[in-house]
Amino acid sequence: MAMNFFFRKSKKNILSNNKKPKTDSDNLFSLSSACLTLETKLGLKSAGKCGLSLKNVSGTHFNEMKDEIRRFLDISKSDFELDYRMVIDNYDYLWIILEAKGMEDILAGIAAVGDTIEEKGFCRQLLVSVFEFINMEEIGDQNHQHYYLVYNYKDNIFYPFVPQGNQSRNTENEMKLMATVGHEIPFERDSSLWYPLWNLPF
Amino acid sequence: MSFVAKTPSWQRRDTGLTIRIVLSFVILAFLYIIFLTILVYLGLDFVSIAVIASIMIVAQWYFSDKIVLWSSGAKIVSREQFPRLHDVVERIVVSNGLPKPKIAVINTSMPNAFATGKTPKGSIVAVTTGLVDLLDTEELEGVLAHELTHIRSRDVLVLTLASLFSTIAWYLMQFGFYGGGMGYGGYGRGDRNNSGSAMIIVIVVAMLTWIISFLIIRAISRYREFAADRGSAQMTGKPVKLANALMKISGNMRRIPTKDLRQVEGLNAFFIVPAISGSTIGNLFSTHPPVEKRIQKLMEMEASMSY
Repeated sequence: MAMNFFFRKSKKNILSNNKKPKTDSDNLFSLSSACLTLETKLGLKSAGKCGLSLKNVSGTHFNEMKDEIRRFLDISKSDFELDYRMVIDNYDYLWIILEAKGMEDILAGIAAVGDTIEEKGFCRQLLVSVFEFINMEEIGDQNHQHYYLVYNYKDNIFYPFVPQGNQSRNTENEMKLMATVGHEIPFERDSSLWYPLWNLPF
Repeated sequence: MSFVAKTPSWQRRDTGLTIRIVLSFVILAFLYIIFLTILVYLGLDFVSIAVIASIMIVAQWYFSDKIVLWSSGAKIVSREQFPRLHDVVERIVVSNGLPKPKIAVINTSMPNAFATGKTPKGSIVAVTTGLVDLLDTEELEGVLAHELTHIRSRDVLVLTLASLFSTIAWYLMQFGFYGGGMGYGGYGRGDRNNSGSAMIIVIVVAMLTWIISFLIIRAISRYREFAADRGSAQMTGKPVKLANALMKISGNMRRIPTKDLRQVEGLNAFFIVPAISGSTIGNLFSTHPPVEKRIQKLMEMEASMSY
């Protein structure tokens, strides 16, 4: 495995030299293969939930964008077995929460919503997308630990967030997440930028 | 910045302890060099100086643990005084077939640990009370296993040998320059200035040799730290625990923010560049590799443990 590990690392380096810079949604979609790694190495499964958040803005343009997203998600509902809701939190951030069985469907939905937001010119308002994972052994347990991978739209990079109780975090599990998928997805190495998101609305 | 909490003193790295121990040995080395220089100046022959030098090296080697204990203020403690510490050490030594070292404690709130000893049997592991208070049992196990790896791989011997080379280099140079210079001594009047400048050259070159070997010793020492981390991970099977302990000891735990992103974003603080950690010069002189690198290596080990 160690060999494999280094081989993959060096292969990535060689390839990245002659490849053109990745587009943002490539970064986002890299999560779909990382999901398998999380499952086999840490026993973590996608909880089937993801929330995209953006700063709430008043005005007709913003409302039009919300309507368009609603229309798109209503159509997708039947095609992808996708469910969604919109919530505004205490910080006045709009959360678009998607629920679907497969990570592929969630990612496709999140990417499409992100594209719509960008098209309508609210790119700067985009904050993060938060993907939830759950330990397969803890499924059904009411007090199970929530594992989150946060995708930061400013830097197009992922970082871990594992809350533990109220306002404290399990750094050990966060570091485990980094160790497991840090090479597979664009990952924030500087832990001083791993800003938490307490009391997520999903 | 309001959201970056100031690191409390007990979480800062304990450089005081390291400085005290290193300083003791540096002073010793200087006394040593001065003493030998006087012997050379007195015109002793090569063989007797070699004998005296080797006696001094052996003595330093023999008393090394005493010097370390004395300069750090560590006291050997019994099982009754620190049962948890003895339990953790015993668990590691029994499962890895190592002899049990003596355990010493330094009464300070700075979290730190070190190992010393000439042979694995007669070795001592010392921890500060701050370390015992700060870490949970598994993290303590990781740190102690790290120190036990130093003992197992005889790192004290390795470093003594490494510093021996610097002594020998200095010694040979002394004879090459100064021994030759002394030969001129009896010839003429103008030689006094000559031997004076020769003396300066000798001292300068001796210093250079010493500084270079000092840096090399630092480099070896840093490499041994990585090796000890690896050994600890193998002994305990939990690299993440040692990584967590390192985070706690170095105060890096504080660097993981607790303030909500949405709140921080509101303050527009998200774009502030964090302080650059560790300069290159600092790295050159330090005996320990940067904590970030050690944690990264430990986490890579953790990752390679599944599949």
